[in-house]
Formats: sequence, structure tokens, C-alpha cells
Amino acid sequence: MERRQFIKILGMSSLFLHGWLRNLFAAQGPVVAVAQGTDHAAITRKALAALGGMQRFVKPGQTVVVKPNIGWDRTPEYAATTNPVVVKTLVEECLKAGAKRVKVFDRTCNDARRCYASSGIESALHGMKGVEVKHLEEERFKKVALNGKVLKEWELYGEALSADVYINVPVAKHHGLSRLTLGMKNVMGIMGGNRGSIHKNIDQALADVNASFRPQLTLIDATRILTAHGPQGGNLADVKVLNQVIASTDIVAADAYATTLFGLKPADIAVTRAAYQRGLGEMDLDKMRIVRV
Amino acid sequence: MKKVTSSRISQLLFLALFLVLFLMTEYRGSDRIVAAVNGFFRANPLTAASTMLAAREYQPLLLPGLLVLVAALFLGRFFCGWICPLGTILDLVTGRIRKVGALRALTGRAKYWLLLPLLTASLLGVNLAGLFDPIALLLRALTFFFHPLFGDTVRGGWRSLYGVMGERRDLLDPGYRLLRDYLLPFRETLYPLAFLSAFLFMLILFLERYERRAWCRRLCPLGTLLGLVSRLGPLHRTPAKLCADCQACREHCPTSFDRDLLQMDECILCLECSLRCPSQRVRFRFAGSCPQVGPVMERRVFLGGLVGGVVLAKGFRFREPAAQAKLLRPPGVRDEDDFLKKCVRCGECMKVCLRSALYPAFFQAGVEGMYTPLLVPRLGYCEYNCTLCGQVCPTGAIPDLGREEKQRQVIGKAVFDKNHCLPFAKRIDCIVCEEHCPIPGKAIRSERVELTGFDGVKRVVQQPYVVDELCNGCGICENVCPLEGKAAIEVFRVKDRTPLKEVSPAPAMPGAPPPDASPYTDPYGGNS
Repeated sequence: MERRQFIKILGMSSLFLHGWLRNLFAAQGPVVAVAQGTDHAAITRKALAALGGMQRFVKPGQTVVVKPNIGWDRTPEYAATTNPVVVKTLVEECLKAGAKRVKVFDRTCNDARRCYASSGIESALHGMKGVEVKHLEEERFKKVALNGKVLKEWELYGEALSADVYINVPVAKHHGLSRLTLGMKNVMGIMGGNRGSIHKNIDQALADVNASFRPQLTLIDATRILTAHGPQGGNLADVKVLNQVIASTDIVAADAYATTLFGLKPADIAVTRAAYQRGLGEMDLDKMRIVRV
Repeated sequence: MKKVTSSRISQLLFLALFLVLFLMTEYRGSDRIVAAVNGFFRANPLTAASTMLAAREYQPLLLPGLLVLVAALFLGRFFCGWICPLGTILDLVTGRIRKVGALRALTGRAKYWLLLPLLTASLLGVNLAGLFDPIALLLRALTFFFHPLFGDTVRGGWRSLYGVMGERRDLLDPGYRLLRDYLLPFRETLYPLAFLSAFLFMLILFLERYERRAWCRRLCPLGTLLGLVSRLGPLHRTPAKLCADCQACREHCPTSFDRDLLQMDECILCLECSLRCPSQRVRFRFAGSCPQVGPVMERRVFLGGLVGGVVLAKGFRFREPAAQAKLLRPPGVRDEDDFLKKCVRCGECMKVCLRSALYPAFFQAGVEGMYTPLLVPRLGYCEYNCTLCGQVCPTGAIPDLGREEKQRQVIGKAVFDKNHCLPFAKRIDCIVCEEHCPIPGKAIRSERVELTGFDGVKRVVQQPYVVDELCNGCGICENVCPLEGKAAIEVFRVKDRTPLKEVSPAPAMPGAPPPDASPYTDPYGGNS
């Protein structure tokens, strides 16, 4: 065989192999742990255990960022912010795994002081050693080259970028534009600048950011979900108690599964679709290993 | 500095109290503010007098001010010598300022020319006393200029430290946190009138070069009011005049002994003369006999003061309609005239405002509206769950309302400008306003409209609209509108500020149309 021929065949075969490879991996597929129960600390731990425990992600001496959604000045029962019990359990598990420091923060929409207080997260973590519940500081944002489809660069939060482990803890809720806000939209909490301006192309913009910044673990809080008037809510009639958490290393898979809780299909969510098409993760429910605990 | 006297101790304690209360006039993690600097205004006789004259009714919140006024009948201007924080600051700095002798322009009846028009204007419904109230002058200088300057400086230093040290700056974080949590303003805010506020304060300090306590003695309307009352009282000094053999009082007295007779309406009860009298002759006594002090003021001063007040109250009533449209008042203010009667322009609401949404008016609200608070949504919005401005307002010009009640207060109504709004003007998605609208049923909603974009591609775009019956004009939509410069949604003032209907708790909302009735607001409806 001549070299030229060989390269041709190689190139041709890779075209076919591509799909084959994909199927091969899908057979194993990303693990999505779904835990259900009224003890929200316990289900959080169960979901973690199904993924191999926190020690799989956090090594002794590491700095961990746990990034909940603290975006709004609402108390936990309104399902606009992440359940403080879930956040606290994750933080505890990080410390147990030997984390040197755990930082918890979000770029809030309402007044940061009120959001931190009302969400119950600040008080839940108060006094824990090695844990910092921090307000963002403007100077820590760093311009990051995303080279994405719609965002060439954006400012991301330095402490999120420099963390050894980044754990994404969104709450599953309705959103007026993206229909749902889940794991991938939660990354907006570390974005600086005029975030509203990405709304004009939100699915591609979020895929751009998520392609570049990848949490090691995503745990979606669906202990209660906001089904309408999101992302702020404010009416308990819009809140549905599900007592579930969903955890995965694959952010797209976690989002895809969480979508079903709202009676929607993963492909209904443009952000999920965009991320899937870019190969950021799996959205086909049949190709995931859903572990219920 | 002088030796420590009880009046000096009292002064320093009250100054410290004032500063502590100033720092406490801020959100500190609790919905209710424990203590705020408004106590100083509620105990301020000038605030009480001008507000009650303007509102023409008794204001229970201001009872302490009336009590101080009554106390002044017996104790003279003790407030000036023992309590007033501005007076204390003057006493603290005056030793370092060389004196050049009294200023002619101020030695006459200037103080009455200031006080009388202010009170007359009050009687005519315009409460201007706060403009020259010493406590308000001090508070505004602190709020609008010195505190932001301090915050800016410290935070700027902290920030540049990050440039030098990077992440290692975290080592210093505990120290900075203390500073940030207790001393700095939460966010950096630039206020209009910062210059004027600082200038007036510096001017008062500058007057010290003419004589000690020049402001207090020659101009301060609060001091003048207390002085007027104290003339009627029984407290007098014996001997009333300088003694022929000594005359040391002339040196010790901070205010009024440049004439031979102690002027009770200028005496601030510091008791220096009594404490330092070499022969221990001087006593302050409650004696019935009133030494001759001459008339309070000439008739022309009195009449002139009245005319001045009329001019002040009635001479600046022109309003530019366009400017009025954006004249947004704090939540709970329903009537502009009523507000101008009660607002003493102390600046506390602007100090405490969680989102730095309130700013002092310059001429937007007319000349007589200067320093009254305006909501400027593009800079900050009214936080849905916050009730702080009503809590700190000393006079109730901004009512102190519970959370639910405040949420239903109408500040204005939001209106879209379709020529700017992206889904209309550019036919692309946005909806940041709807996302942020805090009303549980959403006062901003959107409808899915299929149209051809300017790039020729057919698409579904969500076009927003305002539900007037639900909008309370908090301004968050205008605040977060991602357009640069002018927002595509703006809150405009409305005349009818009747509070929104009470929304009965879920599920059915009788007042508003149920959101699910429209396919546009159904979260799962339409195509995506």
C-alpha cells in the first residue's frame, strides 16, 4: 500500500468510525444518579455515592468551589435558589474528602446581601471551618478567550477558574426565555459584564461558555422545582415538591434528565440541544446509565 | 484643647452615637433596622416645627423634637452645646483656625432672615427647613461625599492590592472584611449634589475663621429657633453682665460675650464661664427676672422674613412636564404635595437604600424639591422585599410599611419603547426584563410571535408587554435592560398611585387573569 492510499483509507474510515466510536461510548454512557427521598442531605449523599463518592472528585488539600444558584432574594421554599441543605451536604462531603477550602458564591441578580441571607445558604454554612461564603469582587473577573460561535471572549470569575474542583449546584426551574434553567445556565453566575446581552443568543452563548468552562460535577437540586414564572417565582402555587437530586459528571446529561421532570423532552431545551450538538455531553436518555438510588 | 468638662463629654458621646447610628443606617442582614440615625431628626425641634407647620397636624413621630423644644424653654440652647454633632465638630476644629473677627454681613439679623422664610414656607406647605438644618447638613455631607469618598479610597486600595498580590491578598481578607462589613458603604455610589453637600459643610467650617461657632451663632436655623424659645425661659446667668474687675468670660465664652451682656439666645450652655470663673461668681439659675435684652428683631425683619417665605413657597412652582414624567418617589409616597410637606431632606433614605436607587434631586422636582429623594431606575431599582427607606424616614414622608404592603405600592408604571426594545426593533430574543420582574404573577410577560428576522430567517421571537394592573414601578426592568445608554423599558410617574390589589395566595388569582389562560405565558406552550 502506498502512503497516499493509506492516508486516504484512514481518512475515509475515520468518517465511519466516528459514528461507531460514539455508539461504543454510548453503550457505557454517562452515569446520571437520581436520588429521591425527603431527607435532602441523605439523597445528596446517595447521589454522590452512586458516582463514586466525593473522594473521586476532591483530593486532600484541594480548593473547591461549590456554586449554587443564589440569584434571587427568595426564601428556599420558593424554589428560586438552591436548597441550602443540599449545598451544605455537598460542602460537608468536600471537607470530608479533605478539601482545604470550600468557596461558595454566586453573582446575584437581586442585592447580594439579601440573596445570601434569604436563600438560607449563608446561615447554613455559617461558622464551618474552611468554608467561605463570599460576595464577588469585581477585580477578580478575568477575560477568558472562548472562541465560541457567538462569544469570542468573556469575563469569568477568577476564583472559579483557579479552583481545583468546581461543583455546579443549580436548582431546576422554569425560565421565560430558555424555558428551563438547569446546570448549563447556572454557569452564568460566574460570568461578569453585561450578562443580559447574551440573551439574544442564549443557547449558543451558553454552549460557548460551557464548552470552555467545565464543572467536574453537576448536581441539580430538584427537591422542589419552580414550574412557572421563573426564574424568580414568588408564588408557592408554581412550586412542585419532587424530593429529588440529579448528579452527573456530564452536565448535558444531568440537564437532559432534569428536563423530564417538567414533562419536557431534552431536545425541547435549545441550550441542551446546542451543547449536545457540540459534543459537550449526552442528551439521549437511552444512552445514559440512569442509576436510581 | 480645653480641659474635659461634662459638656464636652456629652458632646463627644453624642457625636460618637451619631456616627455609629450613621453606620447602622444600612442593611445588615435583617429586614428591620435596629437603630438608625433618624433618632437625631425625630428629636430635632426644627424638623418637628417645620414639618408640623407644613402638614398642619400633630406628628407623633416627631414628639421628641417637641420635647426638646419645651426643654429649651427651661434649659436654653443646651442642644447646641451638649448634643449637636455639627457643633461638636466645630468645637473640635476651631482651635486650629486663626480668627480674623466677626463678619459684618452676619452680625445683624441674618439668622432671622434665614429662619423666618423657612418657617413661613413651611406654613405654606413647602418644608425647606431641612436644607439648612445642621444635622441634615452634616448627614448629607457624610452620605453624599465623605462616606463614598472613604469607601472609594479603601476599596480602590484593596483592589490595587489585588493587582500587586493576586490571590495572596486572601491572607489579608479577614481584616478587610471587618472594614467592609462595618465601616464601608456596601457599594460605590456617586451622588449628584455631592459637591454642594461637601461645599456647604466646608463653608460652615470656613466660617470658623471669623469667630468661634459662627454658624451656630449667626445662621443656624435650629439654633435660632431654640434661642427664640430660650429667651422666654427662666434660666439666666448671674451676673448677667461682664464683671468690671475681671472680664475673663469674654475669653472663655464661645458665642455671645462680645457684648457686655450674656445673650441667652446665643448661649449654648457650655458652662465654660461658670467653671473657669476665677472668683467662682458665675452661676446659672432659674430666676424669674429677665434682664433687658432688647427686641428679638425689628418689625421689618419680621415682615421681610414672612415675604421671603411666601416667595420661597410660591415663587418656584413652575414644573417642566417632561422632567415630571421621570420624577419617581420612594415606595409608599402617593402624593407629591404631601411629600414635600413632610420630607426634611435629611438624606437617610438615600443612605440606606439597598440598591442605591435613591438620589437627591437637584432641580428635577423644582427648586423647592432640592435634596428630596428620587428613584433613578437606571442606576438602581427598588428591591422587592426591602422596606428600609420607610423605616428610617424620620417624619413618615416615606411611610413605614410592612413587606407585603410595600410591595403593592406603586412608584410608577413601566412602558416599553418598541423602537429600542430588541425583540421589536431587531427581532431577536431578549426578555431580561421579564426574567427580573419580581411580581409573582409577572407584570412583564411575553408573547411568542412568529416573524421574519432582518436576516431573512423565519423565527419565533418573544415580545414583551407590561400588565399595568400588576406593575408597581420598582424599576428593575429598566435597571437590567441590557441595551446601552437608554433603556428600552422605562418607569414613568403616574398620578394614581393606588396600591396594587392584594393577591390572594395561590392557586387562583382573582384580580389578575390566570396566567395559564394565555398560551403565551404557558411555560410549556408554544414552540421553542
